[in-house]
Amino acid sequence: MSFTSGTFIVFVLTALVVYYLVPQRFRWVVLLLASYGFYFTGGAGAMGYLLFITLTTYLAGRVLGALNEKRKGLPATDKAGLERVKRRKKQVVLVTLLGNFGLLYAVKYLGVTFDLLGLPRPGLVLVLPLGLSFYMFQSVGYVIDCYRGKFPPEKNLAKFALFVSFFPQVVQGPISRFGDLAPQLTKGNEFDADQVKYGTQLAMWGYFKKLVISDRAGVVAATVFGGFTQYRGTVLFAGVLFYCIQLYCDFSGGIDITRGVAQMFGIDVAENFCRPLFAVSLTDYWRRWHITLGQWMRDYVFYPMSLSRPLTQLGKWTRRHIKGKLGKIVPTSIATFTVYFLIGIWHGAELRYILFGFWNGILITASLLLEGKFQYWRKRLHIRTESLLWRLFQMIRTSALVFLGRYLTRADSVRTALWMIKMTVLDPEIAALWDGRMLALGLNGWELMIVFLGMAVLLTAECYQEFGGHVRKALEQRHWLVQWAAIFIPLAVIFVLGVMGGDYIAPGFIYQQY
Amino acid sequence: MEQLLKLLSEICPGIDFEKETALIDDGLLESLDIVTIVGEIMDEFDVELNVDDLLPENFNSAQAIMDLINSRRS
Repeated sequence: MSFTSGTFIVFVLTALVVYYLVPQRFRWVVLLLASYGFYFTGGAGAMGYLLFITLTTYLAGRVLGALNEKRKGLPATDKAGLERVKRRKKQVVLVTLLGNFGLLYAVKYLGVTFDLLGLPRPGLVLVLPLGLSFYMFQSVGYVIDCYRGKFPPEKNLAKFALFVSFFPQVVQGPISRFGDLAPQLTKGNEFDADQVKYGTQLAMWGYFKKLVISDRAGVVAATVFGGFTQYRGTVLFAGVLFYCIQLYCDFSGGIDITRGVAQMFGIDVAENFCRPLFAVSLTDYWRRWHITLGQWMRDYVFYPMSLSRPLTQLGKWTRRHIKGKLGKIVPTSIATFTVYFLIGIWHGAELRYILFGFWNGILITASLLLEGKFQYWRKRLHIRTESLLWRLFQMIRTSALVFLGRYLTRADSVRTALWMIKMTVLDPEIAALWDGRMLALGLNGWELMIVFLGMAVLLTAECYQEFGGHVRKALEQRHWLVQWAAIFIPLAVIFVLGVMGGDYIAPGFIYQQY
Repeated sequence: MEQLLKLLSEICPGIDFEKETALIDDGLLESLDIVTIVGEIMDEFDVELNVDDLLPENFNSAQAIMDLINSRRS
């Protein structure tokens, strides 16, 4: 059941009515039934994966909780006993991680492994269920938090199953934390008209991004990348630009729908985007784009790796033997590369995704190494780093670096991406801007105008937010007529201009395949 | 404390570590800074810190970091 289908709207409305009608202590059961019903519509086979992950991580949490209790009961003098418990906890986490990531590997990467080994693919092909890596990462995060003793494990299996499967976020995240999400899911929220109104507005904003902007921009991207050999510089550039617009509006629009629907139930789901176009560096970009994946990688990969014994020992050695900044950043750079390698390969088991990860890792490490030099040149050139112009320069520079990386994630191979970059630079053919070639990429002038106007609205709103504004709260201060207009005008825009209606079915969300 | 303030200022110049009390909450320290700070602290103060210590409340101010070091020394 896609977020963009009429069935989904009816489904959410029904769930909302039932949720607020039943007594508060049973409301979480409504959410659980809705979540399992929603996931079941994606295919009965997918339920097996969901159940496997739910059961294994639930059991691991329970065992770890019991071991944590046992550890607390042991006297500090019982070194052997404490060590035994610690070892046992590590074994539990290891087995759970192997089981879960092994499943992800089998579904996502086994076919490619056979290809790489030059062997024929096995007859039995496992189908990748919707959103597998999102709810798996969320559940694995829970297990590691239990290992770290952050909270006592959930004892109620059904309540835990709701945490894993909460329907607005099960197909494309965000990757929530147990401590933040689970209490909100199970407490039985009271009806709050403001929450329902805010949630509706946020979901509509998401639909606007997805149906009015993204699905149109995707047409141009598909035309250009599909027949890239026919095009040169400016058209190729436009293809990547439209792909960037498509990707951002698709993913962040989907997340807005998720957060909006959750808010209607009184549930505050984690932010996943914070206006990435306004990022001033690549590190800042990754703090603003797919935030929950970045935080997951930071807490469960980057920190443990950086502070692991081998890397801290290596760090001590490099600080002593390698002079300057390089000696200091070796361990963190290894962890940084690992994180971006994982983010790359998470997108797919292809060389272009791995290179995309390394592209980010190299740039971030290089910027750390060269920070001193940058500071020196900024002083020499008398650049006022607090000026708006400098901020604008930083934003454009960051966007350009991200833009280059996007050639890799959308082209069908590294060779194609490099060829397209080469052609963009060496053979610009700027005449394509006015000789009508832009109108032959799948969208006519009117359709292109809608994309540009949509982006203008989006950027204006984001600019307002970036400088501290809050659109929905600002609306609250207005006359009631303006408030209603703010709901019905966008609704009309989505219905009239949204890519839907007739026989057309809006394409699925890009990130739900991960 | 002075030793710690000196170390922090060397790693992250431009931050007033004596006054700031929301280094993490306000985003003044990034993950890379934190790992570097932890590495330097383990060297300078000869204490063992691990990933469980990486809580915002342990790094929000110089005093909180000092308290963390002291708790590991005892």
